[in-house]
Amino acid sequence: MNNSPNKSIVLISQSDVILTGLTEILKGSIAGEIIQLHRGDEIIDFPELTGNFLVIANPEELEKSTSLIRQILPVTGSVQFLALVFDSNAATSISLNDSSALICYKVNEILNSFASNQAKDADTELTRREIEVLQLLTKGYSNKEIADHLFVSTHTVISHRKNISEKTGIKSASGLTMYAILKKIIDVSDINPEELI
Amino acid sequence: MELFNENSKLASVILKDYSLLPVINRLGIQLGFGDKTIRNICGENGIDLNFFVETINVFHYEAYFPEKRLLDFPVKIVIDYLVKTHQYYVNYLMPENDRLIELFLSANPEESTENELVRKFYAKFKEEFVIHINFEESVMFPYILELNRVIENLDSSMQFRQKYPDYSISGFEKEHSHLDDKMDDLKNIIIKYLPPNYDQNRGNAFLSNLFLFEKDLKNHSRIEDHILIPKVKQLEMVLQSHE
Ligand SMILES: [Fe+2]
Ligand SMILES: [Fe+2]
Repeated sequence: MNNSPNKSIVLISQSDVILTGLTEILKGSIAGEIIQLHRGDEIIDFPELTGNFLVIANPEELEKSTSLIRQILPVTGSVQFLALVFDSNAATSISLNDSSALICYKVNEILNSFASNQAKDADTELTRREIEVLQLLTKGYSNKEIADHLFVSTHTVISHRKNISEKTGIKSASGLTMYAILKKIIDVSDINPEELI
Repeated sequence: MELFNENSKLASVILKDYSLLPVINRLGIQLGFGDKTIRNICGENGIDLNFFVETINVFHYEAYFPEKRLLDFPVKIVIDYLVKTHQYYVNYLMPENDRLIELFLSANPEESTENELVRKFYAKFKEEFVIHINFEESVMFPYILELNRVIENLDSSMQFRQKYPDYSISGFEKEHSHLDDKMDDLKNIIIKYLPPNYDQNRGNAFLSNLFLFEKDLKNHSRIEDHILIPKVKQLEMVLQSHE
């Protein structure tokens, strides 16, 4: 549905003080959504997350939940981990003593590194073949009949139909008929609207 | 993203996410709840606190769906919620859709071909939707409630078996994808393919209502597919093991 993959931050800590504090620090200056968990395995309650993730937790929790989180989070994006430690100057972790600005900077560095799949203006022009398939479809032909008519396999017709739906955003047969009329690919007089729409 | 909990004030929940308004209505709450917390409101109204909290969270945050905990709620509570949701669609959202699409189309009488097409398509979508809901209410839900009653009362399953000789929920499962597709198609047609000379404000008003409907229906179907149906399958297994 959403073309640009979102970026989410998964904060894991037993401590509400840490969860709330970090959320407060991050929320104004990052482009991602923040999910708070007390334990890594609670991620199971979020089965429909998509996109890229940055998991922030203390080193023990990270070690415990890394493989679990990789299993559960969808493979649609990449997952990065950032350790939250009590005191350190390492660039690869954030410390409770870091300033808000530094924490935001470190988090944003990682978020920005996620490849941004900029939605391209995909090619939505139907090919000549797809138009032929669409015309036959609006006449009420089955996939098999279209295949016979065009001397191709049913499999090919199905893949044309899939492409047509992807390009137009229209999935149902009656929706495609309406599309074909609006786009003047067929004429209303060619079809029986009572039946097809 | 912050999940709400029983100590959240309902008023601040609604101020954060007003799309929850019809959801709390369905759960039995009317406006005018002052500064009460969810816990107090549920207590006063005899509403299952956990069900209330999980339901608004699932609705508020699409990615959140604690399947295991949701499966623990009694079938009756779930069906009651689903039926109230149907009522909201049939008594309010659908008529509102009808009104707004007519307002939108009738402002451009010269586009008669386009208008006719959209009207026909919309009528078809609506017809399918009504059939779907009627089926659930007149066949599927009564079956589930009766099955649940037999198991709760440890009744003999004889009578039940006579009434539903070869019924199982797998035979009832109706796909939601056709409805979703039609709704998507309608949106895309209006957003992308209608001639641009329609009244934009009326178009926006119709689309806003349709988006509202879509969000609600998606949530509703998800509860049916992932909570209700698996629960019924469990009940059917219990019944079988009693026989
Ligand atoms: Fe339903
Ligand atoms: Fe349904």
